Formats: sequence, C-alpha cells, structure tokens
Amino acid sequence: MSNSRILPEFELLAPKTMSEAVDMAARYGDRATVLAGGTDVIIMLEKNAVKPEYVIALGEIPDLDYITYSKADGLTIGALATAYQLVQDKKVKKKYPALWQAAASLGSPQIRNAATIVGNILRASPSGDCCCAMLALGGSVVLESTSGRREVSIDDFFIDYGKIERREDEIAVELKLPPVEDASTSAFLRMTRMTFDLSKVSAAVSLQMSGKKCKAVRMAMGAVAPTAIRIKKAETMLEGVTITEKLLSDVAATVSRQVKPIDDVRSTADYRREVSGVLAKRVIKAACNV
Amino acid sequence: MKKRAITLFINGDEYNITVDADETLTQVIRNQLNLTDLKHCCGRGECGACTVQVEDDRYPTGKKIINSCLSLAAMMDGKRIYTVGGLEKGGTLHPVQEAFVEQGAVQCGFCSGGMIMKTVDILENNAKAGEAEIREGLEGNICRCTGYTKIVEAAKQAGKVMAAGK
Ligand SMILES: Cc1cc2nc3c(=O)[nH]c(=O)nc-3n(C[C@@H](O)[C@@H](O)[C@H](O)COP(=O)(O)OP(=O)(O)OC[C@H]3O[C@@H](n4cnc5c(N)ncnc54)[C@H](O)[C@@H]3O)c2cc1C
Ligand code: FES
Ligand code: FES
Repeated sequence: MSNSRILPEFELLAPKTMSEAVDMAARYGDRATVLAGGTDVIIMLEKNAVKPEYVIALGEIPDLDYITYSKADGLTIGALATAYQLVQDKKVKKKYPALWQAAASLGSPQIRNAATIVGNILRASPSGDCCCAMLALGGSVVLESTSGRREVSIDDFFIDYGKIERREDEIAVELKLPPVEDASTSAFLRMTRMTFDLSKVSAAVSLQMSGKKCKAVRMAMGAVAPTAIRIKKAETMLEGVTITEKLLSDVAATVSRQVKPIDDVRSTADYRREVSGVLAKRVIKAACNV
Repeated sequence: MKKRAITLFINGDEYNITVDADETLTQVIRNQLNLTDLKHCCGRGECGACTVQVEDDRYPTGKKIINSCLSLAAMMDGKRIYTVGGLEKGGTLHPVQEAFVEQGAVQCGFCSGGMIMKTVDILENNAKAGEAEIREGLEGNICRCTGYTKIVEAAKQAGKVMAAGK
C-alpha cells in the first residue's frame, strides 16, 4: 500500500530461536535493527531516525518472557518480558521496588503491555525509567552472539547518548539483578508534566540499612545527563553514616551541583538541576522511611 | 521477507491475507480489510485512538489492549483481535457503547473507538472499577472534545450493567 506508507520499506526477519537471531545479527550487523515490543523502534522508523534494511523481530522466539527470582541468583528478566508482566510479579514488587515502580509508571496500559524491560535498557534513553532504576539496583546485561554469551555490568553499559556497550552482532538475552538482602530497600521516583509522559527528572536509590545507618548505597538519576547516571558523590556522603535531615539536605545540594541536565521540550536545565536535588532527597526518604 | 502471508481473526472473522513487512496492524485493518471503525491518529502510541484488544492467555481475561499503530501486522499471524466494530451483537449495542451514547461521551467521535475498547478492557477486568481506577485505566487515551467527565460517567454506568450481567 504505497499510497499510505507510514514506515519505510524494510525486510522482516522473524527468527524462531535465539541462535537463529544471533546468526542474523552476525550476518547483517548495523544493516539490521532488533525489534522487541516495538514501542521505541516503530516510532524511530516512522520518524526516519533509523533506516535499517532488515528488522530482526524477536516476538516469535518462545519462552523468552520469563521473570525468575532465586536467593542464589537474584532476579533474571528475559528479553521479551514486558513492563506489564513485571508489575504483576509480587516478588519484584517486594524485593526490587525501584524497578517495580519504574515499570508501573512507564507509559500507559497499552504501552506497558508491549514494552519490554530489556528494550528500555537497550534503548538507553536518558529518561528511560528502568535504566535509572536498574543503575541503582546494580546488575548486568547478558548479550549473546555467535561466539557465545558475555555479561556486561550495568555500570559499564551506558556509554553516551544513544551509545551502549553492545556490539552490532549481539542480541540481549536477559537482565540479571543481584539477590537482595533482608535489610535492603529501594525506591524510584519521577517528575513528569502529566502522569502519562516521559520523565523530566527521575531518581532511584537502593540502600542497605542497619537501623538508621546506611551500610551500602547506590543512587542513580535519569534525564539529567546524556544517559542515566550514578551519583557517586551522593553515595560517598551516605555510606557508613546515619541518615539525618541535615545529611539529606547536603546530599540534595551536592546532587544539584553534580548533574548536567539540558534544556528540551519537557523542561529547562535550571529547573532540572534544582529539582534533581529535591527528588534525590525524596527518593531516599521513600526507600528507608526516615 | 518483504511480504508475509498471515491469518488474522478480527472480531471472530477469519482473514487470510498477504501483508507488507513494513505495514502496521492499523494500516492493514483499515486499508486492506476496510474495517474503518479502527482509527489512525498520532501513529506514535500517544493518543490511544488505535486501541484494540488482542488475545493473550497470560492475562486474566485472555485479552490485552495494545496500540495497533505500534505493532507490525506481519508479526500478528494467527492472532484474535477485537475492535470496536465487533462489539455490537445482532443490532444490540455493548453496554459500554450504550453508556457512551446515553452519557454524551461522544462528540467528534475520533477517540471513541479506542476509548470504548479501553473502557471495555478496564471493565472486563473489573466491572466494579471505581472512579480512580477508571481514570487511571484511561491513561493513554486522549480526547480533545469531551473533557473526560462524561467518559468516566459512561464507564461507571456501563460497569453497573456489566456487573449485574455476571
Ligand atoms: C507513548 C509512549 C510513552 C512512553 N513512556 C515511557 C515512560 O514513561 N518511561 C520510559 O522509560 N519509557 C517510556 N516509553 C518508551 C518505552 O516504551 C520503551 O523504552 C520500551 O521499554 C522499549 O521496549 P520495547 O520492547 O518496546 O523495545 P523496542 O522498541 O522493540 O526496542 C527498543 C530498543 O532496544 C533495542 N532492543 C530491544 N530488544 C533488544 C534485544 N533483545 N537485543 C538487542 N537490542 C534490543 C532495539 O533495537 C531498540 O533500539 C514510552 C513510549 C511510548 C511510545
Ligand atoms: S494512533 Fe496509535 S496511539 Fe495514536
Ligand atoms: S470525542 Fe472528539 S476526541 Fe474524543
């Protein structure tokens, strides 16, 4: 139907197994785009932001939508597991609240029914809510190619805007998040113009507490830099000390100084800088009820 | 492949067709099957006008709602899909359609197909959904005319009918 073209022409590849998929990725490299739920890819195609000759659609590979948890291995999220599935998972809600909250507020019900968690990480948008949450929780992305699998720490995964630690012959198979200890808590918060919108600023934290004392912490923010980022200065301030109102105010000021946001359609850099400190403080409070 | 032969079941009717690899589900349903009750609007997952239900046995109702503008028709082979055009049975409107008419929840009508499918999905999951649950559920469907109040009223009215019918 050329008279009503919406997407540019491409050749569709629908592998039935992961090994077929990685063969295709090896053969076509950067001439191919991988498609999971399509909530980013279809729009990138429609905007002509990508012009692949081939689209490798993973949707017909069976049993790739798993979400499993074990005390030994932690949480594993298969490449086709959607935001909806993650939100339905009681273990995730209890043990990884930051990721659960990120998935629960992502887009609309229709979007959550299609969008995969892996796709959100692989898109690596600065405002990707699961990117921010996962950076705070820690973990790794498992990538597969014809030469086998490798695991990349989430700390090394986001390189720059639109740049990730994935070779063009690789397909992401799953995400792994470390097991959580009983004294661990986490939280995710975001600011949007309306609820159904991309984040202007987002923040996530995971904490290991001993009473009011913070034993270990990871903190991340979204939409304040070209990728989601760890806020290491804030982590250093929090680690090993008792969390007080005064400390949180100091953390907020440090965060506002460390972030490097930009002006865009959703917000101004100044506003983002100001608000990111406030959000950092709130997300810590939300995680540990201090 | 540049083209793919697929089977779609739309509102229970079987269609054996060949689609272009790059066609969205909205395009195929509207342009090839001429089922123009389904609307195409933003094409970017933002407005919900193109909302359809698709069978999915992982869901409590066996169906999920998606934006048909964001899915490739070629990847929907064998799927059962439901659009607003299939709700009326033998001349009788679905309780949600009835309620939209009675409450004046339709003005220009462009959002209505998607809005009604979304409301059907919310109420099939929970006919007793309260105002907050309805409003939250309707996120992702935009109406430029009605101001939403009448849509929410219609959903509440339809919920009562559907709850009583069960
Ligand atoms: C209306 C709307 C609202 C949204 N709101 C939010 C929001 O509030 N917060 C938010 O974070 N996001 C939001 N998003 C974006 C979110 O839906 C996506 O980031 C989604 O999570 C991506 O998953 P997907 O399965 O749809 O991926 P796709 O679109 O299929 O792919 C996304 C990217 O990942 C790559 N990819 C996917 N899977 C693999 C794999 N297994 N191996 C290698 N590469 C892969 C693709 O090539 C592509 O670059 C929104 C999108 C829309 C349309
Ligand atoms: S046309 Fe699909 S969401 Fe707007
Ligand atoms: S009735 Fe016109 S957009 Fe909703």
